[in-house]
Amino acid sequence: MKQFQEQFDELLEYWPDEDSSLRDLRLKAFNKFKELGLPNKKWEEWQFTDFSSINKLNFRLSKDSDLPTLPKTIPGRISNSYIIFIVNGHYQPQLSEIPSSVSIATGLEHFRSNPELYSINNSSNPFLSLNTSMMNSGLPIYIKDNAIIEKPIQVVYLTTKISDELMNHPRFSFNAGENSESTIIEQYIGSTSNSYFINAVTQVNIEKNAKLNHVRIQEDDQMSHHTACTYYTLNKSSILNSTSISSGSQLYRHNIKLSLNDESADATLNGLSLTKDSQHHDQHVIVDHNSDACHSNQLFKYILSDKSSGVFNGRVIVRESTKQTDANQSNKNLLLSPHSLMNANPQLEIYAEDVKCSHGSTTGQIDSEALFYLRSRGISKEKAIELIVGGFAEDILENIKNDDLKTFLSKNIFSWLKGTLKNE
Amino acid sequence: MLEIKNLHAGIDGKTILNGIDLTIKPGELHAIMGRNGSGKSTLANIITGRENYEVSSGTVNFNGDNILDISPENRALNGIFMSFQYPVVIPGVNNTYFLRAALNSKLKHHGLKEVNAADFMRLIREKLKLVEMDEKYLSRAVNDGFSGGEKKRNEILQMLTLEPQLSILDETDSGLDIDALKIVAEGVNNFRNKERSFLAITHYQRLLDYMKPDYVHVLINGKIVKSGDMTLAHELEEKGYSWLEA
Repeated sequence: MKQFQEQFDELLEYWPDEDSSLRDLRLKAFNKFKELGLPNKKWEEWQFTDFSSINKLNFRLSKDSDLPTLPKTIPGRISNSYIIFIVNGHYQPQLSEIPSSVSIATGLEHFRSNPELYSINNSSNPFLSLNTSMMNSGLPIYIKDNAIIEKPIQVVYLTTKISDELMNHPRFSFNAGENSESTIIEQYIGSTSNSYFINAVTQVNIEKNAKLNHVRIQEDDQMSHHTACTYYTLNKSSILNSTSISSGSQLYRHNIKLSLNDESADATLNGLSLTKDSQHHDQHVIVDHNSDACHSNQLFKYILSDKSSGVFNGRVIVRESTKQTDANQSNKNLLLSPHSLMNANPQLEIYAEDVKCSHGSTTGQIDSEALFYLRSRGISKEKAIELIVGGFAEDILENIKNDDLKTFLSKNIFSWLKGTLKNE
Repeated sequence: MLEIKNLHAGIDGKTILNGIDLTIKPGELHAIMGRNGSGKSTLANIITGRENYEVSSGTVNFNGDNILDISPENRALNGIFMSFQYPVVIPGVNNTYFLRAALNSKLKHHGLKEVNAADFMRLIREKLKLVEMDEKYLSRAVNDGFSGGEKKRNEILQMLTLEPQLSILDETDSGLDIDALKIVAEGVNNFRNKERSFLAITHYQRLLDYMKPDYVHVLINGKIVKSGDMTLAHELEEKGYSWLEA
């Protein structure tokens, strides 16, 4: 905890002229973080993940001097997409390209016009408080009302060429205006041999009749720690297609909260976690149905190899006096190694009557019948495993309609598979 | 082509085959009939190389080579094929992609040029007609959402595409209505020539009426107790198996 206090004090010194209400918020949030502390085994919602390594490392906040010489090409670029490029926490507008129907605000502007989004009063998540106290990067992005943007907007958050253990607390806000249609890719990439810590908070607000595809890609370096909170708020008749693909970090914890706040909102949450070595991925999803005729569909898959481990905790809440709720939740896990471990806990909390709900979770190994079937057709064992595991994974991309994006994600998944299966 | 000598085998420590002798020459179609549990499927599984079966004695030679220590994929590449009794659903793996991967694996093994996607589509459309299968099944995942009959046609489609030397038809007639049975049997019959051999495993003579086997064998308790021609199949249909049981 000491290094967080030091870093917080330094941050206050580093930005002495900061807006006073923002400063008050930071102080309040940091006090709450100190009060809560890092999660330990006694915290029910956090019990399967050991966060002590975050405390053992001396992370320091990224400064202007941590901006390295920029790479000639932006890594992980998706063809035919707009780009917002952030390096070691520093936004690079000169390398970014956005359409005219999108605007970017400063964090301070966003805070002033939406102070309620920064409230930490109702949360016991220490990483939200930590982010709020130290938020130092990320951007509020607005999609204008009625804008139909075909090309995806790719946000690359790159950590590269760092000399010591950096931390960043990105704060993103994605706002899809009424009747708009767009795709935002929030992508974390690491290219460094040092340990670092990303603690992100992303708030996504989808206005009436708007449709947003949000793809979150977590490809941070294996040495890194990554904690994240994603909050989705859906308004009347809005549509969310969310896909989260994670293969990075030694420790990854992602809290997703989806609030279906007005009638006829429709959300699909898909997730794919790919782990190897001793990686640990923990995802915690809450889907809150608090309005009528809303639909939610969750599919979270994990592929675990080596000694890696995973946690999936999914909760669907259907509030009292809501009607015509349709909520599905499915979690499927594939263990590629006898040493990998999965903890799954799907839960339903239903306080209404007019409800259609389903949930289920399965964990298993590669189907030996399927493997024999493919081999009996002359396909090598290696290729057969790749096909079966790839088929298991590709399901997650079903809702991605943009071909360039789909090809990109599919290639990433297969290159991970090829690299991982070779070692199994 | 296939020569099985004194084969004793089983699974999980249980003996199932008690000395099978069977020789199949090029161009021949042999039928093996028997009750459930007589060892028919075990025999098919051992020829194709399914894991976990234990061979305690005997040999299985294919084109002169002992194949018992060879991987399932290499047996397939060398010309052995099985139409599965229960074809497996493989979620997320596209049927066309799978068929082309299998064919290209075989072409590559024989030092031939692999087929590209366009040429393969032309080829597969021709084969589809032979088993009267709808093209929509090509774009689905392997056997996913296929009815029992469609799964069996998909098996025969694979046989016609991969052109094996030895085709084992493991209860290909089960789950088929009479129309589908005719189509499948015709698919097999048109594929027969003097080079290709077949081993049809079945409970009933129905399929054999269409396929006209050269030899019919009766398997009881893991042993071939009687061999004959089609008249034996008729006899079994009439009298059952008990008269052959010692």
